[in-house]
Amino acid sequence: MSDVLNRTEEIVKKAKSLGADEVLAKTTFGRYRQVRFSGNQVDITVAWNDYVTDVALAWKKRLVATQIHDFHDVDAGIKKLLELAKVSKENPLFGGFAKGKFKYAASKADKKLEELENPTDYVFEAVEAARKEAGAEIDSGGILFTKFEDVCLASSEGPIGVDKRSAIELSIRAFTQREASGHGVECSSTLKDFKPERAGAKAGEIAKLAKNPKAGDEGVYDVIFDPLIFGSSLAVWGMMISAFNVLVQMSVFVDKLGKKVAPEIVTMRDNPSVYSLSSRVFDDEGVPARENVFIDHGLLKCYLHNTSTAKMFKTETTGNAGLVAPNAWNIELDAGDVSKDELFEDVKKGLYLTNTWYTRFQNYAKGDFSTIPRDGIFLIEKGKIKQSLKDLRVSDNALSMLGNIAGISEERQHVHWWGEAEPPSLSPYVLIKDVHLTKSK
Amino acid sequence: MSVLKGWKKMEEDIVDYTLKYAESKQIEYAEVRAQSQVQDRLMLRNGILEAYVSAVDSGFCVRILADGGIGFASTNKWTREEAKDIVDLAFKYAKAAGRKDKIVFAKERGVETKWTVDQKRKAENVSPEEKITEFVEVNKSLASCGVKIAATIFQCSIDLISKYFVSSEGSRISSFVPKIGAFLFLTVAEQGKTEQAGEQFGYSGGWEAFKEWNITDKMIHDAKILKDVITKGKAVKPGNMDLICGPEVAGIAAHESCGHPMEADRILGREMSQAGRSFIYKSGPYWLGTRIGSDAVTIVDDPSLAHSYGYYAYDDEGLKARRRFLYKNGIINEFLHNRESAAKLGAKSNASSRSINYDREAIVRMANTFVLPGNMTEEELVEDVKSGVYMKSFTEWNIDDKRFNQRYVGREAYIIENGELTHPVARPVIETTTLKFWSAVDAVSKKVEFEAATCGKGDPAQGVPVYTGGPCIRLREVYVK
Repeated sequence: MSDVLNRTEEIVKKAKSLGADEVLAKTTFGRYRQVRFSGNQVDITVAWNDYVTDVALAWKKRLVATQIHDFHDVDAGIKKLLELAKVSKENPLFGGFAKGKFKYAASKADKKLEELENPTDYVFEAVEAARKEAGAEIDSGGILFTKFEDVCLASSEGPIGVDKRSAIELSIRAFTQREASGHGVECSSTLKDFKPERAGAKAGEIAKLAKNPKAGDEGVYDVIFDPLIFGSSLAVWGMMISAFNVLVQMSVFVDKLGKKVAPEIVTMRDNPSVYSLSSRVFDDEGVPARENVFIDHGLLKCYLHNTSTAKMFKTETTGNAGLVAPNAWNIELDAGDVSKDELFEDVKKGLYLTNTWYTRFQNYAKGDFSTIPRDGIFLIEKGKIKQSLKDLRVSDNALSMLGNIAGISEERQHVHWWGEAEPPSLSPYVLIKDVHLTKSK
Repeated sequence: MSVLKGWKKMEEDIVDYTLKYAESKQIEYAEVRAQSQVQDRLMLRNGILEAYVSAVDSGFCVRILADGGIGFASTNKWTREEAKDIVDLAFKYAKAAGRKDKIVFAKERGVETKWTVDQKRKAENVSPEEKITEFVEVNKSLASCGVKIAATIFQCSIDLISKYFVSSEGSRISSFVPKIGAFLFLTVAEQGKTEQAGEQFGYSGGWEAFKEWNITDKMIHDAKILKDVITKGKAVKPGNMDLICGPEVAGIAAHESCGHPMEADRILGREMSQAGRSFIYKSGPYWLGTRIGSDAVTIVDDPSLAHSYGYYAYDDEGLKARRRFLYKNGIINEFLHNRESAAKLGAKSNASSRSINYDREAIVRMANTFVLPGNMTEEELVEDVKSGVYMKSFTEWNIDDKRFNQRYVGREAYIIENGELTHPVARPVIETTTLKFWSAVDAVSKKVEFEAATCGKGDPAQGVPVYTGGPCIRLREVYVK
């Protein structure tokens, strides 16, 4: 690591010596492994080794960036980048990179995830757990993914640090019938907390309940969202809380600072904590990554910032810098004070949705959108699951749904799935009132 | 041996060495695919350049079929040691699959060829200043078009992509494709309300694309349309009526409810936990030869359209590209295949295997999917509608993961009364099934307009450039709300 850090620092020094005003360099050596499976069998196992240094530099408020893969060619790459800066356009709103020396928490990355010996074993554990729940005839598919990254960051403005980032996740979808399926995920930053059988059992349990679905009816329902589908909602609000998206009107939170956007039971935060797939000790400017409460008991408290957007909003960076724009790392909704079972008991007639995909907006600023539930969709009557349903679509508004949260479970799960629940989150079961469901005609 | 465009001799040697090393093992098949991508990215927020990114990404992968399992490994470190490491990993992974049903690839002969896409004006010779200025000017024109623009975000991407593919069957294919893309998103605010529109542009070729796109005119048109929607748009009275879909709407419908469900890997379940499955499956109600639309509906996927965003001459398994007739006169006709899916379904691959980079497995993908044109003019389509809606473009859209229940919400749309467009309509919605949508088509226009898009699939996600678009289509008696 020290050798890589030295080379990263050298890039910063080189760029400074050539005339750059401010320079950031981040070297990542990533080892990524994935097993993909379907039909209960492994389709392909994949390994990616990726060596890259991301460099961003500013010259007279002109911001340019590049990626260096070949350390033998650094000088030429930096010279070219600086030339690009000199012919680029000034960004008067560029507020500089973060300044100062910071102390970082020690990384808790799990070395065991650097190279798993038998990754397919975890897949079969999940498949067997699904079978145990739903029967030997299930058809299941999914992915197992592991990540181990060595990260070195150096900045001309002071920050310098090293980090290790590890993650393991499993996603499994199990079918008991052609139109009866369940989906489970298991996500962790360490191997010891990773229990693939939990994901398999969840997928199998839902797939079993989902048998013989009937076409659902359009209408307005009280809906219980499973942690997985609610993770997709958290991802939407997490995207919209970035100050960058507020600036370009891709957010329902424009002009809402200090205002009530949710009921008092809702406290939402971004937290790249050690358990998370997104765990990290610093952001891409070298600012210590930290917990930021952005909705506090229903009030919108802040947006997520890098140094530049923070200056525009006359505030401090929140440690959410990406290379260009700020983004959320890991969204958490604070746990409620009722159990999952109590939450169900509150629903006289409603729906239980377990997963969704294809969320698309008519207008991000207004929040009108639709998304298509998949896997188990259930009719609830008097707190009990009465019937498996299919072919329904949530057609509603992101701000209204946030405002209509009526119950949050004590139980929470760390979820992440494909691009649909990204970034990852710590997500409970949530009851939302008056959700609009539509269907094909 | 001459050095291929985009490659150093050393890199070519490492690719060849990697294949040779893979062939020294007990394999059924091996391929090595190298990709070098010279990238320029610029992003403007509200007319101000946010950042300019310029980089080169270059690396190679090996895919090995051994003992009926597949292993894949990639690296961007160009050394023989690294090459050996990734071959060893891919081989180990292939053997460890332990499949009961052994994977085989449909048989193909090796090909030796080179192919390129020409540029009238080489993108690499266009200065960064010129590229930036073009987009700054678009923003200036928008700002003075008489519509209140609350925010804009513009992105431009230029990728000069060199590939070198070798396989244990003797293939040796090199290619060079420049891809130019742009995405522009605007928010209009009038009377305290907002409306938004995004436009994507894409081209395989040089910077000549920028002039051909007419970005400024298109964005000003969008801005004025959004203003009209806010200030003049009426709600549609829900009910059964005729619907004319413009090229953008017909194109997204062809992509979502024909192209995707016809991907054989979906049909076989290989994408089940991510992009999903298909309403088409063996022993199900829909299969090859089943009717899914009217006689007027023929939908093709065609990677061979010159300079299209989805253009390629050979796919990423080294097979020559050709037009595929997916729905033919309303009948399910031909799936999109790679070699793995083709072998499973007893077919030949039709060269639908694509990957976005050296570090991604090539999977079954569309290229340019569209309804084949008919023989009517757009005016003739409208003339014959007594009461209906003309949905020229869309905002929100989606479709379920079996590709049967879809929804399109109009952006630019008009009420049709007695064969004439009478006034703008705000956000009309069609939410219907694939069968009902394509069965309702009774006429297709002869004029075709393509739209660029980025098609998402795969895990990790692989957004590939495609064309949608096509002609206008007329649907009779569908429910619009």
